[in-house]
Amino acid sequence: MTDTTIEVPLGPVRVVRISLLLCVFLALTIFISLLLGTADVTLDQLWGLFVGDPDVKETVRLIVFKIRLPRILLAGLVGFSLSLGGVVFQALLRNPLADPFILGVSSGGAFGAVLGIMFGLGFNFGIPLMSYAGALLTIFLVLEIGKKKMGMESSTILLTGVIINAFFTAIIMFFVSTAVDDRLHSMLFWLYGDLSQSNYNQSVIVFPFVFTGFVVLYGLSRHLNLITAGEETALQLGVDVKKAKLICFLTVSLVVGLVVAFSGLIGFVGLVVPHLGRMAFGSDHRLLMPVSALGGAVFLIAADTLARTVVSPSELPVGVITAFIGAPFFIYLLKTRGSKWARS
Amino acid sequence: MGAILSLKNIGFSYGESWALKGLDLEIRSGELLGVIGPNGSGKSTLLNIIDGILIPQEGEALLKGIAVSSYNRSSLAKEVAMVAQENHFRFSFSTLEVVYMGRFPYLDRFQFEGKRDMEVVYKALADTQCIELSKRSIHELSGGEKQRVLIARALAQEPTVILLDEPTSFLDLKYKSEIFNLISSLAHKAGLSVLVVSHDIDLTARYCDKMVMLRDGRVFSTGAPDEVITASNIEAVYGCPVIVDKNPVSGSPRVSLR
Repeated sequence: MTDTTIEVPLGPVRVVRISLLLCVFLALTIFISLLLGTADVTLDQLWGLFVGDPDVKETVRLIVFKIRLPRILLAGLVGFSLSLGGVVFQALLRNPLADPFILGVSSGGAFGAVLGIMFGLGFNFGIPLMSYAGALLTIFLVLEIGKKKMGMESSTILLTGVIINAFFTAIIMFFVSTAVDDRLHSMLFWLYGDLSQSNYNQSVIVFPFVFTGFVVLYGLSRHLNLITAGEETALQLGVDVKKAKLICFLTVSLVVGLVVAFSGLIGFVGLVVPHLGRMAFGSDHRLLMPVSALGGAVFLIAADTLARTVVSPSELPVGVITAFIGAPFFIYLLKTRGSKWARS
Repeated sequence: MGAILSLKNIGFSYGESWALKGLDLEIRSGELLGVIGPNGSGKSTLLNIIDGILIPQEGEALLKGIAVSSYNRSSLAKEVAMVAQENHFRFSFSTLEVVYMGRFPYLDRFQFEGKRDMEVVYKALADTQCIELSKRSIHELSGGEKQRVLIARALAQEPTVILLDEPTSFLDLKYKSEIFNLISSLAHKAGLSVLVVSHDIDLTARYCDKMVMLRDGRVFSTGAPDEVITASNIEAVYGCPVIVDKNPVSGSPRVSLR
């Protein structure tokens, strides 16, 4: 600090440095996940695959590249998106308990996807589109119902989300139970969040949208900082709040809706990861956004690896693992921080 | 010199009756204007009109000769800064981060703060005696400290007009005088146009150059503090019997209940 200036709280170098560090961590997580599973893949074999050793058995090659890697990539993209969604919802609603799952946005997306399946749409285009529409519809429904009487009281909105979530889940269960179509029956498992049907194609569809979504939202990271200090404050400091919120809601619904179409309902990722990110790196969204998104990828890859190894040779839906971790975490947040967030 | 901000014949209604009606008001640079009036007399509405959040149905609000409504949010934030009465930070930000928020309108979408922002923020912190608070979380500050930090954030906007909405309402006497000294230096030393809405009649009268007394959305009285603060005006507007004498040291009007 010199005489006439004062340091900035956050510079681009720090953002890049921490993001790169998390990327290394992410790569490490992917590598370890490739090793773990029902079938044995040794470190030597995995290394051999990467350096192109011709002696590695074909079955190992298949397990790593055809089964594990596509699943890990999709898990990473889903975790990235859900956690990013959590950060943005928490800022917009000024409530650290908000998350795409709790707000019902995920189940709205799933509802759209189920309708898509019933209409016989394809997974490449029709079903993701329906899922996006479902997610988008839900968020506006939740905002509309939640604000009716209480202004923009964020706990009311959260409660509305919980109710909408329960409602859509019930509709999906109804369709699943009454369906004659085999595909819908397998959807039951998918309701709890399942990545076992992953293939590269899904990641290829999702990636460009998730990437673009991140860039768009990152461009609004300073807007989000100010919105957490109150919408009126943000307006007075020069934020076009209406426009910023609209872009955020449209973008997050797109990203979350898309990943839900391929992963099902995976809860609490967007709750746990951003909170840890905030504890470690503070509340500035210019850093919190990349940290949470990358952290979400790491978290979900780890959770999915657990899901396919804890009860090996059978598997759990990954949503079970995230709920086991996330629900107690939610209660912990409510107990320790609840009083501070209760007043609006 | 002309007025920085001038409101002419402003009428604003939330739906039924007029919240403000036929209101005229002017502020020049370097002037400290105090607005007083009972609850519901239109003080907050007035601030929101100057800050472009509410658009009056009648009359015009001109900032540097241009209608307030024709500024976009970010160019308005470079001219008008508001120190609001209520501020709730849900997430923990440091004092420094809060003050840097005032630089928002000067930065492009993907831009980080640079040298110029660092100088402006330093000056804002120095002028409000907040430098030693800069590392602390906004949640840990006392009411008076927090108010100073919010004034620092307003200064970081480099505005020509600063609006303060009851800046001393939750503070004890020491902090009240501290804040009013600060506000007065912003107008009289830094040359800003400052409009303060307050329930502290004595303090407002002591520090302000000019006062406006509102009743039912209309200007009941305006002028120098000793012209506005008279027993008959206060009784008419607030509806309670008072004695107005002079502060024996400063000579400014002093109100006590009879």
